[in-house]
Amino acid sequence: MYKKVNNLNGTEDTTVIKRTSDNAFIPFDEANTDYQEYLEWVAEGNTPEEAE
Amino acid sequence: MSTLKVNSIQHSNGTDALTIDSAGNTSFSGVVTGTPLGNRNLIINGDMKIAQRGTSASGITGSGYYTCDRFDIGGVSFGTFTQSQDTDVPTGQGFANSIKFLWTTANASLSNNSFLQMHQSIEGQNLQYLKKGTANAETVTLSFWVKSNKTGTYIVNLWDIDNTRLIAKAYTINAVDTWEKKTITFAGDTVASFDNDNGRSLDLTFGLCAGTDNSSGTLQTTWASAVAINRYVGQVNLADAVNNYINFTGVQLEVGDTATPFEHRPYDMELARCQRYCVQGDFALAGCYGGGGAYPIAGHTYSTPMRAAPSITYISGGTASDGIADYAVTGLLATQAVTSRSARILLTQTGTSAGGRGMDTKAVTLKFDAEL
Repeated sequence: MYKKVNNLNGTEDTTVIKRTSDNAFIPFDEANTDYQEYLEWVAEGNTPEEAE
Repeated sequence: MSTLKVNSIQHSNGTDALTIDSAGNTSFSGVVTGTPLGNRNLIINGDMKIAQRGTSASGITGSGYYTCDRFDIGGVSFGTFTQSQDTDVPTGQGFANSIKFLWTTANASLSNNSFLQMHQSIEGQNLQYLKKGTANAETVTLSFWVKSNKTGTYIVNLWDIDNTRLIAKAYTINAVDTWEKKTITFAGDTVASFDNDNGRSLDLTFGLCAGTDNSSGTLQTTWASAVAINRYVGQVNLADAVNNYINFTGVQLEVGDTATPFEHRPYDMELARCQRYCVQGDFALAGCYGGGGAYPIAGHTYSTPMRAAPSITYISGGTASDGIADYAVTGLLATQAVTSRSARILLTQTGTSAGGRGMDTKAVTLKFDAEL
């Protein structure tokens, strides 16, 4: 599962996603394999939780 | 046995190619070709000396990296094992470590989709000199040391990720509880080249168990399109009893049809090579700033540029200080501007420091992960 991350000003950070299983912050870099897995997860119809 | 006593060896044109002085020192007049003299080994951490994530992990039931760097585990339904960076090594070879798998829960009746493999993935840009996909494709030779209580047939694969192609070879562990050196040569593949980039192009995989989904065909001993049932045909089930174990060390994959002696690299060099893919350790983050009074912010430049912008995880520990008091670091609040060279890191802490002050942190254990 994944959760969106907010910037300090409360807006959504569109450069990173948080993996809830280990709280890893995953940058939106296409060469990052965690990001590749996230994209596959989204392609399967899943959506991340909203940021807190 | 005979001895050749000469002072030089010449080309037929009379040019010295090799000279030997009275002390036995040998000089070559040109370049020694055939295999590279250095950087022969395509495998990183083949002697298992680097284990940034830890030296032992128990209760393993799924895929991932656990102990020795760059050696990933893939599989499902293989029982449970403990993996460790072990000090059991073959005598007289100069190794200090091996990687060990020790079963704590057996799976004697593998399901169809059961399998377990240890593998290392290699970037395409480091494989271009194999000339794969050309008429000059290079033969490569794998050598490694292995020890297990379970004798029998084991399988290794070269898996071309870019083109979904595969070649598999079998080897035999002949004696229980005995270190054995294995050498396996793979023909070059004249079909389909590796991508020249920082992506995952080739996996070297060591089979440890395989259900019928990965073993019910015919072992694919020549390069061809990958067929799962042909991957691990004949592979013994190492997971079939508690206390089964296997150790590996001295893993080397090199161009040519001959296994040269293992290329021992210095610790610092091997660590730097591993840290292109993962860095885990204690950090004293430089240039800290007390953002808003509740969290330290720091810029961090990695000691080695990483393969890609890494995923960042807080592992444990750490203390932040604003010069007035110390605060325990409790986690990661956010990451910003993460690239393959640096990142901005925002931590969480107990208590509220004096906002806007310079801060420092120490002993914060973080993981930066850019594995393939």
